[in-house]
Amino acid sequence: MKRVLLMAGRLLARWETLLVIAIIGVGIWSTTLSPFFLLRANLLDLLTPYAFIGLMAFGLAFVVIAGEIDISVASILAVSVVCFSQLYDKGLNVWLALVAGLVVATMLGCINGVLVGIFDLPSLAITLGTLAAYQGLAYVILPGEGVAAFPEGVTKFGGGYVDNELPIALLVLVAFAIALGFVLHATRFGRYLYTIGSNREAARFAGIPVARVRVTVFAISGFMAGVAGIVYLGYFGSARADAAQGSLLDVVTAVVLGGIDIFGGSGSMLGVFLALVLVAELRNGMQLANIAGDTQNIVIGVLLLTAIVVGNVTRAIQARGLPSGLRRKGVIATATVTAGLGTEPEPQELKGR
Amino acid sequence: MSRKRLGLLGLALCIALTAALVAGLTASAGRASQETAAQKKNYKMFLIPKLIGVNVFTENGKGAKEAAKELGDTVIYNGPTEAVAAKQVPFINTASQQGADAIIISANDPNAVAPALKRAVARGAKVVSYDGDVARDARTIFVSPPSAQAIGAFQVEWVGSQIGYKGEIAILSATPTAANQNTWIKFMKAALKKPKYRNMKLVKIAYGNDNPTDSAKETQALLQGYPNLKGIISPTTVGVAAAAQVLQQEGKCKSIALTGLGLPNEMRKYIKAGCAKKVGLWNERDFGYLAAYVAHYVLDGTLTGKIGQTFKAGRLGKRTVVVSDGNRPVVVLGDPLVFTKANVDKFNF
Repeated sequence: MKRVLLMAGRLLARWETLLVIAIIGVGIWSTTLSPFFLLRANLLDLLTPYAFIGLMAFGLAFVVIAGEIDISVASILAVSVVCFSQLYDKGLNVWLALVAGLVVATMLGCINGVLVGIFDLPSLAITLGTLAAYQGLAYVILPGEGVAAFPEGVTKFGGGYVDNELPIALLVLVAFAIALGFVLHATRFGRYLYTIGSNREAARFAGIPVARVRVTVFAISGFMAGVAGIVYLGYFGSARADAAQGSLLDVVTAVVLGGIDIFGGSGSMLGVFLALVLVAELRNGMQLANIAGDTQNIVIGVLLLTAIVVGNVTRAIQARGLPSGLRRKGVIATATVTAGLGTEPEPQELKGR
Repeated sequence: MSRKRLGLLGLALCIALTAALVAGLTASAGRASQETAAQKKNYKMFLIPKLIGVNVFTENGKGAKEAAKELGDTVIYNGPTEAVAAKQVPFINTASQQGADAIIISANDPNAVAPALKRAVARGAKVVSYDGDVARDARTIFVSPPSAQAIGAFQVEWVGSQIGYKGEIAILSATPTAANQNTWIKFMKAALKKPKYRNMKLVKIAYGNDNPTDSAKETQALLQGYPNLKGIISPTTVGVAAAAQVLQQEGKCKSIALTGLGLPNEMRKYIKAGCAKKVGLWNERDFGYLAAYVAHYVLDGTLTGKIGQTFKAGRLGKRTVVVSDGNRPVVVLGDPLVFTKANVDKFNF
């Protein structure tokens, strides 16, 4: 009995549980705001405009768990999309062009990865640089007003509907959440990520191929930006150099609100998915009630701040009342793990304490 | 239970929950089903600007609401806070979910909003674009500001008349992908080929992204990069205001003639200080007013987009559906207005 209670308590303290409660709460609020919220068509289509954001956030989650950041994802998406459209426009087979777009995205991610993982440069500075460089590259590859006519076979990934109702983009999103969740939570590679994110030095001493893993996470992030590009292209039906511009903040919001520790070492794929649902739901509810766009931003901002404060306070309390300001990477990472905020394995034996 | 299994359980729980939310609520699906638009007198129209919090669009919104009041319709004005097509789409979707009769839109990307607009049309809405047009098959009629040809040519004349039709000029635009900006620039280039302007040379097209900071930076770069620069045309209200401020700060109001499309309220002090002697625009309130009238007449069947159809647009008088700048079907607002020291106080937007 005691064990059951303990487990229930643990489950309740999980970040994902809080997100689910928030999603239900916002759902109730939205229902009171607008009679249109609970319509099936609305609920099904809720996530579609944000699917490309979610896919980028899934990739970014890997990077952030490993203790790094990649703010170039939106620019990678833009390059990938314009590469695809230019190749297609020049007469290349559409599927080959699609694969080429994905390869380009992965390559750009690899460049970030090599600079960060092999040359050991700070990821914020590196990806800040590539954010601008890749964006510029996109304008070089496709200047002007862009390409808009693509075969339906390709656009269905982002803009297609099953039975005119169920968006295919939603299925793509859920499929990637499950597949990447598996990689993150059920493979050795996933465990390496948490260990590196918690304490890189210790991970190196433990014989983990740190450099290789760090390059790989950026490659994954790049690849996911490419996948997001395909969905973007399908949903918006337009390839331009400014594709996904202004979406970076939304991507980071999904990751942070998803409970992924910005210092690395903890978080789950489920959390990111739920955070995306929460933000999309909140925006949808407010838009249906015709609440002004700037007010919406304030509400989302407050939600994010609350999440971070609540998250840190809970972690601190669970780390036996240690104030969050005293948290130090590596030392308290263990406490974060025991707080059960993610589904990460326990790397205590690597802490060297 | 291991953490791994707990995680998988959580994931399964979440998916089940989503599925339940979606499937379990089908009962309510019929509640606000499509009302037939036929014979309905009071139309519900949504005006989606490129972004909110910008004077021009606020004025459009006021004009549209004024028209709606006269026609007995309602206009809901809302949109994203950044000029990004991907952020306009959720507003199109939610307008459609609310059973919009008409969507009036100024698009950030003519193509990126088209699939969402077509879905809205499939659900029974009519689409009228204004200011920033959308793909032709995604709307019934485009309400155009003064023709692009006129806007381009007028601005070249405004700057030329101030610099004695001689010297280097530059253009400070919004984003490189903005359709209306690019069309105007195309017509400016065409106008510059006329013999009257043969001594004027376009040296640079800069992009300030419709953002005050970027626009100011680009203006400074123009001043540094082209010491012989005589004039700047900025066909965007954000750009021209930022450029005027930079010219004033750098004390270059006398040596460089600035013109472009600007709002009287924003440009008043610069016009009076001589930092932008001639600035033009069209009446933004009338623009929104006309767009709402067009949407109303599209809804009641008066306008179908056939060239030559006419209607009475309230206080603006009779208008005709035409071909303008090779685009069709278009309803044109009229000639540009010019604001100078003499008349700027007459306008309040």
